[in-house]
Amino acid sequence: MRIVYAVFILLLVTFGAVVMSLEILSSNLMSPYFGGSIYIWGSIISSFMVHFSVGYVAGGYLSRRSPRIAVLAAFLVVCSLWVILIPAFYKPVCELVSDRIADVRLGSLVAMNLIFFVPVSIMAMVSPYIIGITAAWRRQSGLTAGMVLFISTVGSFFGTNITAFYLISLFPVSRIVVGLGLICLCVSLFTFALRADRRMKR
Amino acid sequence: MKAGKAIGFIFLACLYLLPVPPAQAAADDQTLYEGDSIYHHITIRQDGGERCMIFGRQRDLRQTCIDLAKPDTAIFEYSAMMFAGFLFRPDAKKVCLIGLGGGYIPTVFRMHLPQVHLQTVEVDPHVEKLAKQYFSFAVPPGQTLAIDDGRQFLKKSRERYDQIWLDAFNSDYIPAHMTTKEFLQLAKSRLNEGGIVIQNLFCGNNLYDAQIATFQSVFAKVFVLDGQESGSCIIVASDRPACEPAGLRKQAEKWGGKIGRIDLIAEAGKCKVAPALKNALVLTDNFNPANLLLMQKK
Repeated sequence: MRIVYAVFILLLVTFGAVVMSLEILSSNLMSPYFGGSIYIWGSIISSFMVHFSVGYVAGGYLSRRSPRIAVLAAFLVVCSLWVILIPAFYKPVCELVSDRIADVRLGSLVAMNLIFFVPVSIMAMVSPYIIGITAAWRRQSGLTAGMVLFISTVGSFFGTNITAFYLISLFPVSRIVVGLGLICLCVSLFTFALRADRRMKR
Repeated sequence: MKAGKAIGFIFLACLYLLPVPPAQAAADDQTLYEGDSIYHHITIRQDGGERCMIFGRQRDLRQTCIDLAKPDTAIFEYSAMMFAGFLFRPDAKKVCLIGLGGGYIPTVFRMHLPQVHLQTVEVDPHVEKLAKQYFSFAVPPGQTLAIDDGRQFLKKSRERYDQIWLDAFNSDYIPAHMTTKEFLQLAKSRLNEGGIVIQNLFCGNNLYDAQIATFQSVFAKVFVLDGQESGSCIIVASDRPACEPAGLRKQAEKWGGKIGRIDLIAEAGKCKVAPALKNALVLTDNFNPANLLLMQKK
């Protein structure tokens, strides 16, 4: 069982950190096309909030239908691959959107959703999914819902600060995004490999 | 007890949400205006006959100062140095200026270069309003003003300019998306044959080296004017400038040595070819540690 908890914590910290890291980085992706104003931050934060809410509902629903870590991990693999591909497709997407939509507020909102809706919504599924899985156990879980959110938020704290204070100064944005995607992919595949669902049944 | 606390809290929250009278009232005789736009905290102060627009909370970050009696006097060295652009491209008919501030540069154009069409681009509509209200800025015939982000404006514009002047600053520094190679390539694509780009910046930090290297990666010829009385520098870049630093003095004399009160001969003396910087980073949209480089003082 310890391993199962370790997997939960690993998933919560990793995806909590990566989601906020992406939020910080997205301003660098958007500003060449939509300017560096407060509008960009409005679009970024509101888009992420929409993705979070979709992710929360989807995570809660799916965890009730199939409360298995493998299902969550499968989603996370898709999410990781999407993140890895962001540097390859964000330019044409932003280019296309900024050419068609003159208003930078609407333009940045559309571009943010096209690029980040899928991966961020999936990342937001992690916490409710884990809460759902532990709720489906027939015994008391050591992880309360509050604890799950706490661990994920601690991850977010580090993701935000490490990215803003260090990573952006040290590496090209595209390389950071690919790096984050690779970390997510490794964690998701590792979760598969551990077969946590079987361990839980014991 | 709990309910009482909650009501108290809600009451306090409501108080906080009450409309606050605009912060226009002068705190002392010298502060003429203080308020916020969507981009900056803006203060306008007057000291004797000198009136300044300040972004942010630091007093030393003055964007524009004008001499009320003689509005074409360059109080800042950089603004005089920028006019040296006319030595590199004397026949310029169309100039694009990014960054209005209090409107000192358009005022000099209006008073002394009426034959030149000046297109000014300012991102903040509130700055335009304040420039009109406190700095007697006006858009005369022959000049135009667009409220837009500088990079977005150039991207959408189909115009070609003889000179593009980059003077966009926020309360920190030059907005990062207007420091990159991609941005300079865009600016270059909006130049007429032999056109030049002029950048106002500060010299005492590592970002300066990176910006020179970035200009050198886009333009064949890059020159710098080193401020003598201030920490300001000017980069002048072109693929085919009409003049090299050695010939600037002669060119300045052709102008009669002056544009209004700006001494072109003195400005010409500050110019040199930009040094080759082997280790400096070229800034790109992908990798632009501008904040870090700016903090590293030389």
